[in-house]
Amino acid sequence: MTVHQKNLRTERVQHGLFLTAAALLIALGFAFWGTLGWGALQFFLRHGLNRTILGLQYHPIKGQFGLLPFIAGSLAVTLIAVILAYPLALSVAITATMVLPRRWLPKIRQAVGSLAAIPSVIFGWWGLAMVVPLVRNLGGGSGFSLAAAGMVLAVMIIPTLSLLAIHAAMRVPERWVEGSLALGATPDQTLGRVVLQSIRAPLAEAGIVAVGRALGETMAVQMVIGGQPFFPHSLLAPGATLTSEILNDIGLLPPGAFGHRVLDVMALLLLVAMYGLVLLVERIGGREVG
Amino acid sequence: MRNMTLGGYRVDNEAPHINVTQLSVAYRDQWVLKDVSMTVPGGRVLAVIGPSGCGKSTLLRVLNRLVDRASGVHIKGQVQVGNFEVIGDHVDLVELRQKVGMVFQHPNPFPFSVFDNVAYGLRLQGVKNSNRLRILVEESLKQASLWDEVRGKLRRPASSLSGGQQQRLCIARALAVSPQVLLMDEPTSALDPLSTAKIEELVLALKGQYTVILVTHNLQQAARVSDFTAFFREGRLVELGPTKEVFTTPRQSATEEFLTGRYE
Repeated sequence: MTVHQKNLRTERVQHGLFLTAAALLIALGFAFWGTLGWGALQFFLRHGLNRTILGLQYHPIKGQFGLLPFIAGSLAVTLIAVILAYPLALSVAITATMVLPRRWLPKIRQAVGSLAAIPSVIFGWWGLAMVVPLVRNLGGGSGFSLAAAGMVLAVMIIPTLSLLAIHAAMRVPERWVEGSLALGATPDQTLGRVVLQSIRAPLAEAGIVAVGRALGETMAVQMVIGGQPFFPHSLLAPGATLTSEILNDIGLLPPGAFGHRVLDVMALLLLVAMYGLVLLVERIGGREVG
Repeated sequence: MRNMTLGGYRVDNEAPHINVTQLSVAYRDQWVLKDVSMTVPGGRVLAVIGPSGCGKSTLLRVLNRLVDRASGVHIKGQVQVGNFEVIGDHVDLVELRQKVGMVFQHPNPFPFSVFDNVAYGLRLQGVKNSNRLRILVEESLKQASLWDEVRGKLRRPASSLSGGQQQRLCIARALAVSPQVLLMDEPTSALDPLSTAKIEELVLALKGQYTVILVTHNLQQAARVSDFTAFFREGRLVELGPTKEVFTTPRQSATEEFLTGRYE
């Protein structure tokens, strides 16, 4: 066998391996959607949409499967987190890239990056020690609440969001900044009209990633939200999210138990939401600075 | 005196002369300009030539105080644009930079449309009326001899233009805010010969209306477009005179060595 033939054979083997891996991954994806979808479908056929996604009462042992409390909880917690985190993260990025000396930037990125790597259970634990008492003192009640969960999530996503925003801001070439200043723009005008303007797309993308992170977080939320399956009438009241409720009910509704499939429905809802976010990122992303 | 705009038509006042007196500039403890004194007559084109690192670009960046962006900058001496004091802690940089426009080595249009690029400085100055903006943008593009090439494409992104067109767009953008002085930092070094020729023609056309300081590595370019030439070496002004004299009968041997390519 010549060297050339040998190479060809190695190449064929490699191709085969890659193809198998890719096929496996795709099959896994289908299996995932398929299992959840099948479970959810059976559930819907049996209980109907009105008493599940649009229902207000959740008591699986009694056969009540209203998921609206958790959908509302997820949305509220995510909204609080992003609204609190986004301006802070943007400020971090602007300070790091535009205000402080450039030579500090690598250190800042390292520091922020290390924060982004903290496991979420630690944020939850920190939330128990700091945020829950804070909400209790300011707003009354037990302190375990949607507000507490939103705040903990905000702190948790700030590092990631800051890193993404720093990345975006770093892509703004110095020559645009100088071009703006040379035309008599103040630094603030340059920031607003050139820098932020030119990274609108990556900043939006970062926001969507942050929404995804907040929507999907389970542990930190479960530790401070209070875990009550009621529709949240106040942000200071305890509540639950889709993720935290899944965690809650895994023990209660093991496979085969009556109502187990409601977990499939909740998982599917999250999956669909995440998929929507991915599509959104793809639409905005890939776009260059500008 | 400021330029005035009357009903959309500009009435330009005399372009100011530039006085530099004993100017020294250091980045930290590295002196890059040393005791430079010179006068640029109003409305003329001064070419600044010299080997890399001789302080040419720093000189330009002092004139619009972009030099402030570097850390640890020390400036000694005086610079006046007309009656406007450039050096000092309380200089209104916005006013200075409206008077003294700049064109950079690499075309640096903003990631906006052609129109929005030219309108950028006007909007900063508070021009909001869209009719007036349109008139001024058109006028600036005409002045930068780009109008014929971009009319009807004003909403296209500036990045869709060729490199030479982008540089003329940047010139139009600078002219739009009615400066009196135009600083050009090797404006053709990134361009092909044809685009270079167009920019040179443009510089010749702007002569009289603006005081132009053109930093260039291209000696023929200096000879073609400038009235005066200054030769810098190691941060010092070696020679300044009418371009013809500097190129044909330089007074300093260093200048002659540089012009004949014998300078390392």
